[in-house]
Amino acid sequence: MKHLNINIIAALMLLWLLPQTGKAQQYTGISGLVHVPSGEMNHEGDAFIGAHFLNKAMTPDTGFIYYGDGEKYHTFDYFVSLTPFSWLELSYVCTERIYRKDAQGHVINWSKDRYASVKIRPLKEGKYHPAITIGGNDVLTAGYLPGHSEVQLYFCNFYAAATKHFTFGGNELGLTLCYRYYLRGYNAKWNGIVGGITFRPAFFPQARLIAEYTGNEFITGLDMLLWQHLRLQVSLKDFKHFYGGICLQFNLLGKKYKY
Amino acid sequence: MFHRNSTFRHLAIVALLLAMSLCASPPTAKAQAPKQSVDIFMGLDFNFRDIHFETQYDFLIRLTPGFKWNMGNHWQLSGQVMFPILNQYGYEYSFFQVNALNISKEFNIKSLYLKATAGAFSHNRYGLDLKAFLPLCEWFAFEGQAGYVGSVYVSPYWEIVAPNRFVGRLGGDIYLSRWNTQLRGVIGKYLYGDIGLEGEAMRHFNHTTVSMYGRWNNKFGLDAGFRVVIMLPPYHRKQRVVNFRPASNWRMSYSMMVREYSHQMYRTDPEENERDGWFSRDLLLWGSHTMEPDFIIKEKTKKNETP
Repeated sequence: MKHLNINIIAALMLLWLLPQTGKAQQYTGISGLVHVPSGEMNHEGDAFIGAHFLNKAMTPDTGFIYYGDGEKYHTFDYFVSLTPFSWLELSYVCTERIYRKDAQGHVINWSKDRYASVKIRPLKEGKYHPAITIGGNDVLTAGYLPGHSEVQLYFCNFYAAATKHFTFGGNELGLTLCYRYYLRGYNAKWNGIVGGITFRPAFFPQARLIAEYTGNEFITGLDMLLWQHLRLQVSLKDFKHFYGGICLQFNLLGKKYKY
Repeated sequence: MFHRNSTFRHLAIVALLLAMSLCASPPTAKAQAPKQSVDIFMGLDFNFRDIHFETQYDFLIRLTPGFKWNMGNHWQLSGQVMFPILNQYGYEYSFFQVNALNISKEFNIKSLYLKATAGAFSHNRYGLDLKAFLPLCEWFAFEGQAGYVGSVYVSPYWEIVAPNRFVGRLGGDIYLSRWNTQLRGVIGKYLYGDIGLEGEAMRHFNHTTVSMYGRWNNKFGLDAGFRVVIMLPPYHRKQRVVNFRPASNWRMSYSMMVREYSHQMYRTDPEENERDGWFSRDLLLWGSHTMEPDFIIKEKTKKNETP
């Protein structure tokens, strides 16, 4: 038994020294878990173009309701994102908004909420310390005062996140802890300490299981990279509400990664 | 239309300067110029906008057939038209448009690189244009552009207005070769009379350049956005006397504020883009031209010739 324990410890030590990588897709096109940002970064040169279904259970309580009856609706967003350097991610997101329906229930007025997201990694993951990132959504218009009527800032938030990966038997376990602050009061339920756990199995490292706490709800999810270019993510809020997306992924430096 | 003496005088002065600069051209270029050839190509001009609540987007898609006749010694005759195949922008975009029909010459005076162009340009403009590029070292250069232009429409009816506007830009470029990153800042007077500043950060990848820009001008205020330039395959090509090929690149510019008349400047080359810059790679080795070339061009040789 003692011999076995030494072997396990040795294997863990060896795997700890292996290069640590983490890839993900959020609804913003920026790396992360599902709703929670992480300390992970995409690879330098990675470009994403994709779309994400946003369940009404996960949209802000203001801005995504029908004009008139005040009922919330499901919607979706689409995005492009780029990692120009290993320490910087940028994305641009459009979220569909529906203003009103006609008497037959057909949508007659559309608009879009647009925002830019930025994520910077000041500290790369090391042998004994986690990767640390800082970032935010809707950063270009965040300079406006929160009460400004012309700028909605529905998804505007800022965060600092830390992620550390552990490997054992070829599997990878990631722990993420994040402090997040939304500017708008109606999103305050997602403020504060949030975090999650990821697990990447050795037999299929392209897939990743996710469990996270957003500050208000638990989300479980799965994402995977297929044929090196197609990334999928599916998740459930409180095991009930579906949330998911699909995107195309390319590395503009011509490099190939498993995940 | 050509009735104003002052207009003729301006035109004559610019033409004289252009002729003098052409005469000052040294007989040899920095690198071996490509052999004479004619390229016939076509691409796609893709535009979309979001200005209506009733629709998601309006699209304008146009085919862009064109030609470039490389006449040797960096003389070039080029032309391009744009045919709309999907137009949701409105009546004024439903006709074919001449995007270029001009002659140009690139040359250098020591380390000052110049490109003079005369003829029709994009944005329904015609006139004279002079571009200059002055690399001070491998990471810093000045750039400038001056033009004297009028407007011309060929469809649905012929209309021409004599050159009546000076436009130009002046700025600097920083190139960080380790990261293939280019920073560019310019101040300029643009086609619709607006005066503005623009800063742009470009990251050059393999066959793709992505940039972000921020800009301000005195008529429309602040704006920001991004640009994407993708060099289109095939990347290995054979050079013949007459070459049929797709357009060299696909370019998209996204503006967060829909300001159609802000910071607009004509393009003189049908395939002009931010990645390649204004000058031929074999003449000016600076910036992204120091990267691996996007296109490997092999001369077509006859069977009885040794390559």
